[in-house]
Amino acid sequence: MQSLPMLQNALIVGAILFSLGLVGILARRNLIVMFLAAEMMLQGISVSLVAWSRYHGDWGGQILVIFVLTVAACEAAIALVFVLGAFSRTGRLDAAAWQSLREATLGRVIDRELPASDTLPQKFPTLTPAGVLPETDEDELLQREHV
Amino acid sequence: MQDISPATLLVLVPLLPLVGAIITVAFGRRLGSRAHLPAVISIAAALACAVVLLSGTARLVGDGHGSPARPVEMITTLWQWATVEGTQPFSIPVALRLDPLTATMLTIITSVGLLVAIYSIGYMHGDPGYPRFFALVATFVFSMAMLVAASNFLLVYVFWEAVGACSYLLIGFWFRKPEAAKAAKKAFLVNRVGDFGLAVATFLLWMTYGTLNFHDTLSADGVIMPGILGQTRLADASGYVGGLVGTAICLLLLLAACGKSAQLPLHVWLPDAMEGPTPASSLIHAATMVTAGIYLIARSCPLFVACPDALTMVSIVGATTALVAGLIGTVQNDLKRVLAYSTISQLGYMFASLGTGTLLGFTAAIFHLLTHAFFKALLFMGAGSVMHSMGGVIDMRRFGGLRRIMPITAATFLVGSLALAGVAPFAGFFSKDEILASLNSRGWPDAHHDDHHATARKGDAAHFQLAAWSPDAGQQENELRPLSRLDSPATFRTLFWMALFTAGLTAFYTFRAVFMTFTGPTRVPEEAGHHAHESPPVMTVPLIILAIASAVSGWLLFSTHALADFLAATPSFTAPAVVATAVKPVFHWDLALQGTLAAAIGIALAAYGHLGRRSDGPQMERFLGPLETLFARKFFLDEIYSALVVKPLEALALVAAVFDRRVIDGLVDRVAMIPLALAAVVRQFQSGLLQRYALAGVVGVLAIVVALAWQLRG
Amino acid sequence: MLAAIDPFSPGVLLATGVTATAASLWLLLPRGQSGRRERTARWVGALLGLAALSAFVATGRRLGGLGEEAVFLIVSLVAVVSAAATVVTRSPVYAAIWFALSLAGVAGVLLVLGAQFLGVATIVVYAGAILVMFLFVLMLAQPSGLAPYDRVSNEPLLAAVAGAVLLGLLSLSIGRLSAGDDPATADPAPAVAVDALQADHVARLGGELFGRHLVAIEAAGVLLLIALVGSIAIVARTEEARVQERRAG
Repeated sequence: MQSLPMLQNALIVGAILFSLGLVGILARRNLIVMFLAAEMMLQGISVSLVAWSRYHGDWGGQILVIFVLTVAACEAAIALVFVLGAFSRTGRLDAAAWQSLREATLGRVIDRELPASDTLPQKFPTLTPAGVLPETDEDELLQREHV
Repeated sequence: MQDISPATLLVLVPLLPLVGAIITVAFGRRLGSRAHLPAVISIAAALACAVVLLSGTARLVGDGHGSPARPVEMITTLWQWATVEGTQPFSIPVALRLDPLTATMLTIITSVGLLVAIYSIGYMHGDPGYPRFFALVATFVFSMAMLVAASNFLLVYVFWEAVGACSYLLIGFWFRKPEAAKAAKKAFLVNRVGDFGLAVATFLLWMTYGTLNFHDTLSADGVIMPGILGQTRLADASGYVGGLVGTAICLLLLLAACGKSAQLPLHVWLPDAMEGPTPASSLIHAATMVTAGIYLIARSCPLFVACPDALTMVSIVGATTALVAGLIGTVQNDLKRVLAYSTISQLGYMFASLGTGTLLGFTAAIFHLLTHAFFKALLFMGAGSVMHSMGGVIDMRRFGGLRRIMPITAATFLVGSLALAGVAPFAGFFSKDEILASLNSRGWPDAHHDDHHATARKGDAAHFQLAAWSPDAGQQENELRPLSRLDSPATFRTLFWMALFTAGLTAFYTFRAVFMTFTGPTRVPEEAGHHAHESPPVMTVPLIILAIASAVSGWLLFSTHALADFLAATPSFTAPAVVATAVKPVFHWDLALQGTLAAAIGIALAAYGHLGRRSDGPQMERFLGPLETLFARKFFLDEIYSALVVKPLEALALVAAVFDRRVIDGLVDRVAMIPLALAAVVRQFQSGLLQRYALAGVVGVLAIVVALAWQLRG
Repeated sequence: MLAAIDPFSPGVLLATGVTATAASLWLLLPRGQSGRRERTARWVGALLGLAALSAFVATGRRLGGLGEEAVFLIVSLVAVVSAAATVVTRSPVYAAIWFALSLAGVAGVLLVLGAQFLGVATIVVYAGAILVMFLFVLMLAQPSGLAPYDRVSNEPLLAAVAGAVLLGLLSLSIGRLSAGDDPATADPAPAVAVDALQADHVARLGGELFGRHLVAIEAAGVLLLIALVGSIAIVARTEEARVQERRAG
């Protein structure tokens, strides 16, 4: 059970999670998705730690994962506050909306014009309706198009 | 006191004022109006030590009486400042010396210093810089004591600069006043010229003699290393280099002395130095520091005796300065400036006396130094007392008849003036008489030798003439030294008449000042307000003490020949060439008569011009005509210096400034453009986008990891 | 020359895996394309991703034999595939749901590795608390339709290559563990019987946590408290500033 191949397999899984998280942080522009990617990196680390813990028959790795969980929770709480603050300022969840620290002589980076997408409008996940159909609130329908 | 060794006392004399200065600096603010205590107490203790040393030295000299050439000296080496091994080993011992000359100087410095410090308690009362003043005075006493006690040319140089620094700080004591700041700067810069001379002279001395010590030292292997003024070299007839190098050394030392002692052509700083507080003028710019030049030349007199031309130059510079400064002094209206020019003039007297190269001349210079220290300090303090009660006004035309308001000041000032004018039996009469006698003996070599020293004097005179005229003895030297005929009797005859005329001038301007200030109808400037009264006792008591010293010191020291005999035991004065010029001390009635006559004429002229009625200068103008302008503008020397030195230097500075701004700064700007250009490239990457920065960081880390993995492969 | 190279040697497999991973991620990441091209790219990317995954699985087989435990294979495949989907999905809402699935996979991996408590805690803390919080924020902040910034990526090629190279480097070093030539890792599997699978596992973990690491646990608790108070304070101040801004405007 505590063989070297087992350790290696688990470490590879951790490495893949970590790398994917890194790509997500670097590439995705949505602040929320960036945080999901960061959490994913933490997951990769957690898997590696537990694998080592098992390999060495030591509790240290698992204890450390508990602290990783704790710190991740704190980080999420604080980060979401900032994301909300950022959203309330710009109305967007775009990481590229914040460019004030650029060199004064440089212009703002602006996205190129995007071709029309046929995936619009976005389809959100739905549940199969069950039970009595609730009465629809007309006001709410006016305010929101979806959900 | 018996238990304390002379060496300890010798160290204590400079050390105590230094400790006093440090205490004043450290606790001055806390001491407040008692900030004078450390300085006064420490200088008083230093005076006590100096007096004990003086009496001890005098006892030593007295024991060896009968053999007049027996030198008395004591060396205390405290530590080695620097030691350089090698083929020509070089070491700078911090060595203090005690000999009659040093003991005399130490006593003068500490006694005048003490009186000035006590006087300053009253004069500087209430000044915001009260502790600073006493710290500076104590530092000055320390530096000056070290200067005269140092037994090494390098140490002399160090403390030469130290007293210069103290002088600078005291002239600029009221540094918020632009004139004071300017005067301090001028004094500092003019002194630099002289200090440059001393520095180069020190280098030349090291090159020539291989040491800078005054005294003989014992090397590690027991060989005696002769010092420049050590007894080994003094006893050696050919111990001192003449010729071009020797003359160069002596002229450079003379330049240094001219700077410090305010002789032509470097005298211009002293009159302006009167911007400082009057006690500082009294101590530094009249009694002590300005005599450093006299001390230096007297100390190194064997060097000068080996170079007759340089020696004669000393006399010529001195007598010319005495005359010029006396002439300028006759038309000054500022009481302190009259005294300043008088100081320059009297210092010129001392130089003229030194330049005769006879034992009489050297001792007379030191004698005059001593009496001058007393009566000039007295006169300056008197002027300060007048200034104190006149609300800072020092222009003689604006007050008069002050003898009714401040009788003690007037009486003591009169005593000082009589001493300065050379009226018998006050101090100046005797010392000035000796100076005139020394000049006279060189001018008329055969006139006064009706005693048993005649042979020696004649031989000596023949020696001088030989050096000047003999074709076989001076053949080669004549080619090298075209100024050889400088030290002829004719030169000294001229100098004698100049000195005699100056004596009359001295009496004239001194009593002009006395009459303008203290006689006539009582007039007080508005600035004085209700403060026009006699100064407090703390100021008048030092005046009285100095007046007594000015009155009796000359007669005491002359009639007993104590000072001359005492000083003759100074190692420098025991060089064979100096001893050969010794004469039996006599009182020259003819010279005394001439001097008194000159003084009487001067006083009479002053009385004619200024006694009894108001004299605001028109008489002088009418009397002198265009010469008055010449004197009042100080022979246009400031203007000449401005045109010859200051203006070209300013032009050079302007060129340098333009060069600096255009070329140097231009180069710097070009160099600065390189990082700017590089930055312009890198700046393009500063997009402010968070994720680009993160990407750059990750790529960098990966590059490093790949490089490491590549290196660790296999 | 080429014939000499064994196409299934670990090196070739690793290189193939890295390249396929980079290409697949680049194709899958949103690059602001029109619908048809995007769909094509996604299919190709997904196939390439599967190829990359098989390459890594093959590498693992060569290294130690991954097939030993079918459960591990399945849960780790779930974790990895849904993690990739999280990163490449355009809609953030779907990304969050993919992330939840990935978390489930990771929890499974942890369970297989014998960390039951951590597996459950991951589900509870992440999927239960943090992820729901994310979704709240998303629903609050999401504009109607797909935002432009969700349809493009920041330097997709560079990011994909960087991630793939990192993965390759990590695999390389993990693979070197088996070689046993590194004295630091030459230590064979420890003889000490690991008690992670025993029945009182959670009790032992708790004992360890509140015994040896008591101070650290207290510190972590304080940290949580500070985060709670801090986030509330920041929100309060932001709200205040917004109210003042509105008044001024």
